Amino acid sequence: MTGAVPMLKISNLHARLADGREILRGIDLLVNAGEVHAIMGPNGSGKSTLAAVLTGREGYEVSDGTVTYLGRDLLAMSADERAREGLFLAFQYPVEIPGVNNMYFLRTAINAQRRHRGEPELDAGQFLRAVRAKLKLLDIGEDLLQRAVNVGFSGGEKKRNEIFQMAMLEPRLAILDETDSGLDIDALRLVARGVNGQRAQDRAIVMITHYQRLLGYVEPDRVHVLQDGHIVESGDKDLAVELERRGYGLVGNAA
Amino acid sequence: MPISAVVDFPVRPEARPYLDAFARRLSDEPKWLGARRRRGLARFAEQGFPNRRSEAWRYIDLRALEEKPMLPAGVASTLANAATDDRLAEVAFAEAAYRLVLVDGRFAPELSAVEGLPAEVWLGGTARTIAERPDLVRSAIETSLFDAERPFAALNAAFFGDGFVLDIPPAVALDRPIGIVHLASGGTGGSLHTRSLVAAGAGSSASILETFVGDGSYWRNDVVELRLAAGAEISRVALVEEAAEALHIGELLALLGPASRLTSLVLLLGGRTVRHEATVRSDGEGTQCALRGAFVLSGHQEANIVTTVDHAAPAGETREVFKGVAAGRAHGAFQGRITVRPGAQKVDAHQLSQNLVLSPRAAIDTKPELEIYADDVKCSHGAAVGDLDEAALFYMRTRGIGREEARQMLIEAFVREVIEPLGPALLREHLLSRLACRLAMLEK
Repeated sequence: MTGAVPMLKISNLHARLADGREILRGIDLLVNAGEVHAIMGPNGSGKSTLAAVLTGREGYEVSDGTVTYLGRDLLAMSADERAREGLFLAFQYPVEIPGVNNMYFLRTAINAQRRHRGEPELDAGQFLRAVRAKLKLLDIGEDLLQRAVNVGFSGGEKKRNEIFQMAMLEPRLAILDETDSGLDIDALRLVARGVNGQRAQDRAIVMITHYQRLLGYVEPDRVHVLQDGHIVESGDKDLAVELERRGYGLVGNAA
Repeated sequence: MPISAVVDFPVRPEARPYLDAFARRLSDEPKWLGARRRRGLARFAEQGFPNRRSEAWRYIDLRALEEKPMLPAGVASTLANAATDDRLAEVAFAEAAYRLVLVDGRFAPELSAVEGLPAEVWLGGTARTIAERPDLVRSAIETSLFDAERPFAALNAAFFGDGFVLDIPPAVALDRPIGIVHLASGGTGGSLHTRSLVAAGAGSSASILETFVGDGSYWRNDVVELRLAAGAEISRVALVEEAAEALHIGELLALLGPASRLTSLVLLLGGRTVRHEATVRSDGEGTQCALRGAFVLSGHQEANIVTTVDHAAPAGETREVFKGVAAGRAHGAFQGRITVRPGAQKVDAHQLSQNLVLSPRAAIDTKPELEIYADDVKCSHGAAVGDLDEAALFYMRTRGIGREEARQMLIEAFVREVIEPLGPALLREHLLSRLACRLAMLEK
């Protein structure tokens, strides 16, 4: 039973950009399996930097603090190793990859993860069956999978494709970076349904968002407010509603 | 006394050994061919090897050729052995309906399978065609437009020993590809001069895959001429996987008749120094010309792709896409010229050259040239040189794909764009698998 080991434990995390600007200034966060957390905050508060540092994007330097993921030092792992260990990032701006077929891409990713776990790779037939089962959940047409990764996808299609990838990869810890941005109400509902369908006892989800909008559809267990590179306030789902009402400007004063 | 001492034309010093070799040849060839060979020799003797001062040759280093002659290889034993069989099994396109194999530049009938062609179609070695069906080749060989300004083609005319000839009568469609394998056994060490001819009758069609492979150190000097009559449709692929020490100079000349369609795909994957030049003359109205290609280079490899499309008639369409990949200390170049002559109105031509430079010591040059002398045309070009997309790499890695595998996927995706439009599917799959083999060997 891994229940005793937290999914994610961030302690006093400091990170800066290559130019020396410090963006994260002492973040503490504890996420347990089965929980859904929301990290909210105004633009420039460090939300996306936190996602970048957790997933191993280059160009950031961790100057202090630790991050453990299932008891292991997350920061010591490469980006792809983190993913193979079950960490997933839904991108705010999913990247277009011309010439790489979506299906082929996803199968390569799944098989890289299966190899890592010592499981046999999926053949084309097995993979297709797995895909079809999950496509319905997000109302994605099979034609989308035959196209190059994210190329020519609408904003909504890109976001749904992210959540579809999450459903296929079955991560232990998923970080959703501004997944609600740029979505109309129908797409938002579909994405929320996809995320809710993946809530599980052995999985944790961290939603990074500017607005409370998504949280109306995916109810978080904990809500944190990030400002100036650290968490200034934490609470339950009601905090998100309150923030929506009073705005971020007052958080600093209240804290 | 060697012939070079008594010829009545100027001779560049580096050409002398070739003149001497020519004088030593024993031949029972027809007179017209002997005359043609001497004309080629004279052209070469005057010009010598091209150097970097010549615009079309500025990106390639041929000094090794000037310093040490690589004389035409003698007639080597073309008997099949276990090694050639293995090599063929590795590189040959198994699905080719008809296969013609040239070992060290000579037609090897025992390795070829040309039976079952429609009776009216001719496919055979060039030497045998000259002996048995001179009517099919004489005028093309005598009137070739290659020699002027083309020292390698001129030398080729003097020395070619063999090649292949494909002659398709009007309205005949070959529904499965023809595979031509040029195999260098590694035993000769000299130069291999092959000359081939494809004559496609009105409304005929065929798909040809030429594979160039070998072992050891050699210089291949290949010339192929395509003549497309009205409405003919020819697809020609050159897959160059020469030995690591080989020099490969390939020239393609295509003459396009009215409403004919040419697809040329060039994949330069192996060889120390490789150059492929395609020259297309659109003489008839409404031609369609698709030129695509790629080079994938590493180590100290050097490759040039040169194209010239000359629109002499109205309403022609040209589509060019070329991709370059260079790692290590490799150097690649693309030079593409499109000319639209006066009166060739409604020509629609587009050229794209995209290049990936994967290491700080690798380099790629790209040089588009449009020469337009008609006023109602659509012509454009684009060129880019860059590195792999870091954002795409990171995205792939966040899905668990390792850095190297992700890089390989991106490079493959980049190159496969030139292969993907090609039919038939089995041929396309074959090329993609050869590309994957090459990319697997690209240094990190």
